[in-house]
Amino acid sequence: MEPPPPTEAMSELFITSIPQSKSESEPMSEKMPGIKRDHDGVKKEKEVNASPFMPMFEAFRDELDEHHDRRERIIKASRDITAASKKMQVPPSPKHSKFSNQPTDFIQYIFSPKTVWKNRVRTLKSDIPPKIASETAERYAAMQKQFSAIAPDLTGINAWRYQRQISGGIQEYMEAVSFEHYLKHQRLITISEAAGTLQGGIELTGDDYVLGLFDLVGELMRFAITSMATTGSLPGGGGDGGRRDILVDLRELRTCFQALDTGSCGGTGLGKDVEKKMEVMKTCVEKVESAVLWLDY
Amino acid sequence: MANPSETGMVDPRIFEELQNKIDEDAEVREQIRAIVQTLERQGRGAQSILSRAHSTPAAHLKPVLDAAEGSIKEEVASIKSLSDVASSSPYYKYNGLWTRDVQNVIFSILLCGWLGGMAHNGKAAEAGRLLTIEDVGAILDGTLIPIFQNLRLTISVPVNLKDRDAFHISIEEYLQSLITLIEELARLAVNSVTLGDYQRPLQISQFVKDLHAGFQILNLKNDSLRRRSDSIKYNVKKIEDIVYDLSLRNLVSKS
Repeated sequence: MEPPPPTEAMSELFITSIPQSKSESEPMSEKMPGIKRDHDGVKKEKEVNASPFMPMFEAFRDELDEHHDRRERIIKASRDITAASKKMQVPPSPKHSKFSNQPTDFIQYIFSPKTVWKNRVRTLKSDIPPKIASETAERYAAMQKQFSAIAPDLTGINAWRYQRQISGGIQEYMEAVSFEHYLKHQRLITISEAAGTLQGGIELTGDDYVLGLFDLVGELMRFAITSMATTGSLPGGGGDGGRRDILVDLRELRTCFQALDTGSCGGTGLGKDVEKKMEVMKTCVEKVESAVLWLDY
Repeated sequence: MANPSETGMVDPRIFEELQNKIDEDAEVREQIRAIVQTLERQGRGAQSILSRAHSTPAAHLKPVLDAAEGSIKEEVASIKSLSDVASSSPYYKYNGLWTRDVQNVIFSILLCGWLGGMAHNGKAAEAGRLLTIEDVGAILDGTLIPIFQNLRLTISVPVNLKDRDAFHISIEEYLQSLITLIEELARLAVNSVTLGDYQRPLQISQFVKDLHAGFQILNLKNDSLRRRSDSIKYNVKKIEDIVYDLSLRNLVSKS
């Protein structure tokens, strides 16, 4: 039982102390498996089976499970909303689906089969044809259903908690809503108008609103170019004289975006995304401008 | 149909409003950052004091704990100003800005509490004790120990809010700090042996094992908590190795 001095070599200790502790006492070897505490037997059993912190961790587990469930529901809804929104902007058509993946190549739009856009909207500020109207209404209903399903997960303290998970879906939704609004009124939807269409108290953040509008420019480009390819003129303009055409609107939007100072956002979501989207937006406007040049030749 | 301000596509107010929002955001961020910087500096101070525990025998810890408590008191005051600024915004909008430093504060409190400091609300200090998330919340409330009473803060720092949106400490933050505590205790187990204290590693071993058992019942997703909690088992092993060595050398008293 004499403790050997700590300076002794390990190999020696192995030889000296192991047999010692084994031969030393019966209860000792009984205690050894899995139990490091040396109180009396009964108390030991209890403490080995349950850590005193278990109730606390059980409460944490339930909280975290709830949080993960909410998070997953929101991610799924965000994806479904994105899907519904994309279908709304480009009503499904086997031929067109090929192009919807590559919205940047305008040559493809110019030569895209007319049939795809037959019966589609080609004018501004007029009512949307009933067939399309009912189609979009259906998609809206689908999106709204998703939104109201997750609304309870996104209220109160959680309004901002899952921002990263939901913002993709909200931006897509913004894109669809602002495009529809433009087709109907030839105006840009305001943030309060857009927020008003969202279900069940889901918050529309300024960031998601702006980022959705950036995507709207791409949508307007596709709309302008297909219209030119099918009707030979820019939507909105011509005809009755001084009316704005879509290119005027695109340029106005571009000016507004460029004037927006997001330098202060730095590393946050908006700062990063705006930089990327700004370039895409400029390209989109320029594509319509070059297409108009073609038209004039 | 001329007048562009009326007939243009974009209502100019839209972008004015957006710009205002962006600028307001930036201002709040700036205010928070200033406090967080202070907190960061204070955090380093508190932790450097607490690290003296590694070279101080348990019997002589009192001055270290007193100094640490003084330093934590400063952190508590910073948390109070953070709470004041942050309370005007949704909690989760900016919490990424401060969560790391709040975790540091919680860790300092937990370590100081484990070492035998942080008496609060009539609860006596006791070495080897785990301060619960509620204890930490109460300490951040400013009702720490007698010297803190004069500085008693009016606002409280609630824990894990569900029903209302206010500044609080979250479960995730508390758990992250627990992981840091475990890492620190593994180091302390080694250094206790160096100081000739052969009992403390046993105490640490049981404490860390109990915490580990708790972490094991959590269903963690693939997030930072998951990644960091993976380190717990290595620390458990490290401490077990020390205890093993001690028993091998018969340095552990057995009853």
